Amino acid sequence: MKGGRRIVVTGIGAVTPVGTGKTELWEALLAGRSGFSAVESFDTRGHTVHQGAEVRGFRPADHVRHLDPARLGRASQFAIAAAWLALADAGIDPADAVAVDPERAGVAMGTTSGEPREIERLDDCLLAAKPEDVGAWFADLYPCHVLASHVAAEVGFEGPNTVIPTACAAGNYAIAHALDLLSAGRAELMLAGGADAFSRITYTGFARLGAIAPETCQPFDRNRKGMIPGEGAGMVVLEPLDRARRRGARIYAEVAGYGLSCDAHHMTAAHPEGSGAARAMERALAESGRNASEVSYISAHGTGTPTNDRLESLAVKRVFGEGARKVPISSIKSMLGHTMGAASAIEAAVCALAVYEDKIPPTMNLEEPDPECDLDCVPNVARELSVRVAMNNAYAFGGNNASLILEKHER
Amino acid sequence: MSGDRRVVLTGAGVVSPLGDTGAALHAALLAGRSALSPVTLFPTDGLPAFLVGELAGFDAQASLGEGNLRPLDRISRMVVVAAERALTASGFSRPLRAGREVGLVLGTMLSGVRTIAEFDRRGLTRGPSYVSPLDFANTVINAAAGQTAIWHDLRGVNSTIAGSAASGLQAIASAVDLIRSGRADALLAGGADELCYETLLGFARTGRLCGAGVRPLPFDPRRSGFALAEGAALVMLEEAESAAARGAVVLAEVRGHGTAFDRSRGADPARAARAVTRALVAALDDAGLQPEAIDALSAAANGSVLGDAAEAAGIAAVFPGRPGRPPKDLPISAVKGLLGEALGAGGALQVIDLLETMRESVAVRHALIDAMGFDGQHAAVVLARPDGSGR
Amino acid sequence: MEAPEIRSKIKQIIAQVAGLDPAKIGDHATLRDELNLDSLSLLEIGVDVDYAFKLGLPDERYREVASLDDMVALVEGHMAVVEARAGVA
Repeated sequence: MKGGRRIVVTGIGAVTPVGTGKTELWEALLAGRSGFSAVESFDTRGHTVHQGAEVRGFRPADHVRHLDPARLGRASQFAIAAAWLALADAGIDPADAVAVDPERAGVAMGTTSGEPREIERLDDCLLAAKPEDVGAWFADLYPCHVLASHVAAEVGFEGPNTVIPTACAAGNYAIAHALDLLSAGRAELMLAGGADAFSRITYTGFARLGAIAPETCQPFDRNRKGMIPGEGAGMVVLEPLDRARRRGARIYAEVAGYGLSCDAHHMTAAHPEGSGAARAMERALAESGRNASEVSYISAHGTGTPTNDRLESLAVKRVFGEGARKVPISSIKSMLGHTMGAASAIEAAVCALAVYEDKIPPTMNLEEPDPECDLDCVPNVARELSVRVAMNNAYAFGGNNASLILEKHER
Repeated sequence: MSGDRRVVLTGAGVVSPLGDTGAALHAALLAGRSALSPVTLFPTDGLPAFLVGELAGFDAQASLGEGNLRPLDRISRMVVVAAERALTASGFSRPLRAGREVGLVLGTMLSGVRTIAEFDRRGLTRGPSYVSPLDFANTVINAAAGQTAIWHDLRGVNSTIAGSAASGLQAIASAVDLIRSGRADALLAGGADELCYETLLGFARTGRLCGAGVRPLPFDPRRSGFALAEGAALVMLEEAESAAARGAVVLAEVRGHGTAFDRSRGADPARAARAVTRALVAALDDAGLQPEAIDALSAAANGSVLGDAAEAAGIAAVFPGRPGRPPKDLPISAVKGLLGEALGAGGALQVIDLLETMRESVAVRHALIDAMGFDGQHAAVVLARPDGSGR
Repeated sequence: MEAPEIRSKIKQIIAQVAGLDPAKIGDHATLRDELNLDSLSLLEIGVDVDYAFKLGLPDERYREVASLDDMVALVEGHMAVVEARAGVA
């Protein structure tokens, strides 16, 4: 890979519509559990669609230890919960000054909307002609940089602190950024991931574009009708390999490299030949020093929209050539919905688990394959297989594409 | 830490309340001209008469000529124009960009907050089926960066960084790293933020703005808060050898950058000052320079009661001088007293102002820019003269 | 609303989305080809026209519209239907 130290995943934490914590999430995905239900967080009566993938029963007070939960937006609460879960999973206590130098520990987060409920609350006040009800909470809770500053303030990390809000690819961007910081020696320990909260703004927008499926999300299915918006957070602990070995950490996977590209084509529609997506994959492979034929599993962006899945399949075929139909590719959005900025972070964590456990999650709800998506989409049943190299793809509004490669670390 | 690839600065593009070029901005600041005046862009609905730095009369179409701007919101237009200026200034024409990828790393604190709020309100008042599809495309925080890439055919790495008022400098730092690591040879980097009612209302409620009709006084004992401004500022950063190979004019080298986070998010003065120091020291270390080598410093100070004190203490801890005070002969500029706090654009505007300082005065061989976010983010960047002095 | 007003209002909406002076839009202008509008802009026009004339039509109706003439016919046709129904009631 590109110069510098080798970086590994040593902890995983997540808050998702199918479970909280690595174990719940992983077991739910392998079992094909669905996170879809009727939207409750706002009134969808004026909409033509009503399904969502919300996180139910999340109690902030159970997860936030130092900051005041009432002064945190929902995405920050998710991010903090996932951060603590990841740190515990990694066996790291940030308060242990021997184990962690706080000035060398940082946070990199991705998001699509930041804290949309705070701006929705502002709009509610303005529409009610009550601007006096807008307090300091708006400027304090809303700007999306809070996702990283809230996490770092909560766990006590004083190193690099960045939010990369590159929409639906943001999780991959944040992990890539953390990888670069660690490789270059600018940090010794990074929490990296993504978070987003369910939002009427996001839901209304995607509904207006006709992108939301009325019943369920069916990536790669001939009759797929769109995405199901969701929410959640995914977080990984990243550190240099030698540091992980020295402290006897469990190593899930090595982050071998990544590739970015920009379509520069259209704000909401991918390039019609999938060239941006293909470039991101090719670059990720090049940086990792891998051929396409070495990839064991692809975690697809797989939103379930007619266009994305078709173009993603096209891009995979471009990159993988003859071998395209032999590489299992599944979309966990078929169970989690589209968790926006959290999506590729959760998917990266799942790739790390796939590499560690030699199992891959299925694409659920795949009833009738689409001839244009004639790949091995791992329909409906999880699979055991040797996963040496996993690729995680993510594509976003604005043409931001990112592919991440995770590899098995030989013990 | 800097490896073999060096990063140079070959052009800049500015959209600011004090001018549309770095030279104009710098001249205005030297002349003591203030960007700050009462709000004219939007109704302030009973808010106190805060002074703000507005881009009054900003006309993107006039700057860009042809092209349909309707799909772009105002902040996207600001960034497109800043990019146009930076691309022109650096000589990176459209034909040249077709052959070599140019990317964009954009810092922003609030992005299209006005677009997002108006989209939401329209959905509530007219019903969800009557929201604007074009506006929805601009509700994602990376929209301005995406729109700019489309407009200018920027196919290189495209990223958005949100770091409060340190966003612009963080974006420049991120771009430096991307070039050093070989992921890019040319990147536009900087920041933008737009003034709107929602932003003014939001900050007004924090009590951190200086009062109605009051001007911000960075570092001054009488200071009472900051004034908001808007703008967009981008610099063209390139790998040094490829810039030389294409005959680019090199304005400066970006020698180093540093970052730190204050876990108290500004509440603990000692921690905040220490974070300022850490970022400055990290930038100097990355640049391979001692503090004595710095000939000019552009401070983030915007008139904030706590923030300015933390920065002053943090600077003093780095630079040798009288106990607890920075050295008499280190010029420290605090442009936000005249320019206002342009949030995501701030750090980039400071860089561009210092470029002009370096252009005017050969005595300035190394310059340091400091940025601070409202929530504990700290960033610093070191610029060096392009004649290689000091290496 | 009279026919010329309908055409003028629709032209205004299309012009606004296309970033053009309404006077520059020919009466038979095609949206994708001559005006170079993409699917997102076409969707926007449909939303704005539907709101302006209070038609309540599904998106599919607007997807069939290829030109200004088509849009005028769609609106006039639907308003004639509404007025006829109102007349009957």
